[in-house]
Amino acid sequence: MIIGGALLVGATVVILGGCLLLILAVVAVRARRHSRTQRDEMLLSPLRRPLITVASGEDDDGAAAEQLTWAAGVSRAVLDRNIVELLTKIRGVPAEQLVHVLEVHGAVDAAVAEMSSRSAVKRARAAQLLGLARAGQTVPLLIDALGDEAVEVRNSAAYALGLIGDPAAAGPVLAAIGAPDRGLPAATAAEALQSMGVGISEVLRDGMADPNARTRMVAAHLSGERSFTRGLPELRGLLDADPDLTVRETSASAIGRLGRREDVGILVRHTVPSEPLELRRACVIALGDLGEAEAIPALAVLLDDSDPRLAELAATALLSMGPGGRDALAGHENDPAVRSARLLASLQKASA
Amino acid sequence: MSAPAGDPDASPVRVLVADDDADIRDLVEFKLTQAGYAVEAVSDGISAWEAFAANPPQLAVLDVMMPGLSGIDVLRKIRESEFSTVPVLLLSAKSRDSDVDTGFAVGADDYVIKPFSPRELLHRVNGMLARAR
Repeated sequence: MIIGGALLVGATVVILGGCLLLILAVVAVRARRHSRTQRDEMLLSPLRRPLITVASGEDDDGAAAEQLTWAAGVSRAVLDRNIVELLTKIRGVPAEQLVHVLEVHGAVDAAVAEMSSRSAVKRARAAQLLGLARAGQTVPLLIDALGDEAVEVRNSAAYALGLIGDPAAAGPVLAAIGAPDRGLPAATAAEALQSMGVGISEVLRDGMADPNARTRMVAAHLSGERSFTRGLPELRGLLDADPDLTVRETSASAIGRLGRREDVGILVRHTVPSEPLELRRACVIALGDLGEAEAIPALAVLLDDSDPRLAELAATALLSMGPGGRDALAGHENDPAVRSARLLASLQKASA
Repeated sequence: MSAPAGDPDASPVRVLVADDDADIRDLVEFKLTQAGYAVEAVSDGISAWEAFAANPPQLAVLDVMMPGLSGIDVLRKIRESEFSTVPVLLLSAKSRDSDVDTGFAVGADDYVIKPFSPRELLHRVNGMLARAR
């Protein structure tokens, strides 16, 4: 009994001691961060006015930018960090002037060197700086970094390549999605590719034949987003026969965005009950997006489908197709699917 | 940049700027001040609404994501107030179509996505005020 009590007291003391140590550690970290912020603000304070002058585009004679280039030592390091932050917020001539300050300070060259650092954090930061500085000459270096062992470096390199916007990097970014063990997240790759202009359409067409399903999905998605109609034959092929269901759904959505009248047939073909439900739903939405009157009879049949969501999507598609589509709803006014679709349409109209 | 008011003796046009990011707040304030506007800058949504209600400006530039009240919340309150016609420009890093749609649906007169060009922002402010006159 006494031993049990002693053990309980001992355990309580250990737990309380642990909590106290944890609280002290948190307080110490916060105090250190606060003190560093205060030091940085103090160091930056004489440079704040010229920095804001340049960033706001009011440095007509270049005097403020020149003043920034004179910064030295710790002040220069703090200023460069602040400039990198500002480059995420502004664009245009002021951003170009700030990049020039970074170049004069040697920050871009230093970032190139840091890409070989043993620290993944430093490599990731360096890649970000090269992107924000739109350092086009470092595209090959950043492409290499897409295969970095650390995911944060791969992400940062893709982000940087997106900012630089050179279509020459599109192929490597797309290929990096399917790299074994070191893959690039599909969303990160898609975001980077979005910024690369019209020169990437052929890369996306090739990507739709990639052995990796996530690569095909991103290529199909972006072809639709960017309205690359030259990719339509590949999209039709993926919708018809891709082994991956998500790729087929994505292709249906893309065809809905950029397809033509002749695509009604292929989309309708995949709304039949023998197809997976997710694909049927994607094809119905795509038919609504396509907006071709030829789809009305097939959509009208789907109003009676056993899946209530599919019936509602068919009603929504018909409502978006003008008088012909609305006529097809005759006799179904009291169907829950049609009432729900009408309510949704009126809510969307009210909030527009 | 010349003063936005046509009459040099007239009081400067008052603009409220609200952004919790000190860099953005300072540079927008500086840009608009250099252009001849009288700028009141605040760092959160509650202060923005208090400043607006106490002395309604001729135009407001609101960040969307602010502590306390968001820019959307402040805009909603402005549109429900007796000064509902004051032009409002939303400035935000939220760049999806749905974010922009929400801004305009609540009553924004313009929506500028970060990263932005300060020069373009000034043009938009000038244009909004010219149309409001």
